[in-house]
Amino acid sequence: MAVATLPHAQTADHGEVDRLYAETRDLRLNGFLLFLVSDVVLFSSFIFAYLYMRNTGQGWPPPGINRLDVAFAALNSVVLFGSGATMHYALENWKHGNFGRYAGLMVATIVLGAMFLCGQGYEYTTLYFREHVSWAGSGIFGASFFTLTGMHGFHVFVGVWYLTVLLLQSVHGVYTKQKYFGLTAGTLYWHFVDVIWVVLFSIFYLI
Amino acid sequence: MDLAIIEKIFAIVGGIIVFLVAVIAFWNDRKSVGIDNHVFKLMLVLLAVGAALAFFAAVGLLGNFPKAA
Repeated sequence: MAVATLPHAQTADHGEVDRLYAETRDLRLNGFLLFLVSDVVLFSSFIFAYLYMRNTGQGWPPPGINRLDVAFAALNSVVLFGSGATMHYALENWKHGNFGRYAGLMVATIVLGAMFLCGQGYEYTTLYFREHVSWAGSGIFGASFFTLTGMHGFHVFVGVWYLTVLLLQSVHGVYTKQKYFGLTAGTLYWHFVDVIWVVLFSIFYLI
Repeated sequence: MDLAIIEKIFAIVGGIIVFLVAVIAFWNDRKSVGIDNHVFKLMLVLLAVGAALAFFAAVGLLGNFPKAA
């Protein structure tokens, strides 16, 4: 753990730090990927439960419930996917030493992530107050929609804070051009959040 | 202008931009090695797919269901 938080300031033994970093980087990367795989399993179980219930019911959406607003969802999806693109280029700029561009793209990613959350909040409000769709009062549709999108929204919320912490850490010199595993992990997490939304967007709005 | 049309215009333009950015990023990274870079490439492809889905949804080719009576 100490290796990950060592700043690139003058430390007693750079060689030892470099050796430890090289030794543990792959371990940490594999551990983080396993964490993402476990999250995929979590989402998959809910997604398959939703698809099973949807296909055993009498038509979809259930009687009395309108189809979701595809136009707004498409816009909100583009906002989230755009944040994935900015995050990717933020990491690329860090690797190439363009710290100014990196910071700008990180801020853009955080803002776009927050915008997606606001969009989701707007959609929830509209569904609840205008369409009278709720988690507990609208049967399988409401329960599955709010559970899955809420779980994803929670991941985005955590991701926004995670990226904010990474940005502050990088500003304070925690990462260097050579040692930036935290930023790699943050980018992997954010891409994962994007990819999960591709699936959720497809199953809730497009089929 | 109707709010839904504005949403669609932004979704169409944004979808095209994100799709192109994801494809270009994938193309630039295509020769990179290492597990993390391979995962990045996979996720960039899925990101491009997502942007394309959002684009097609915005233009009405996907998810264009008739309103319930």
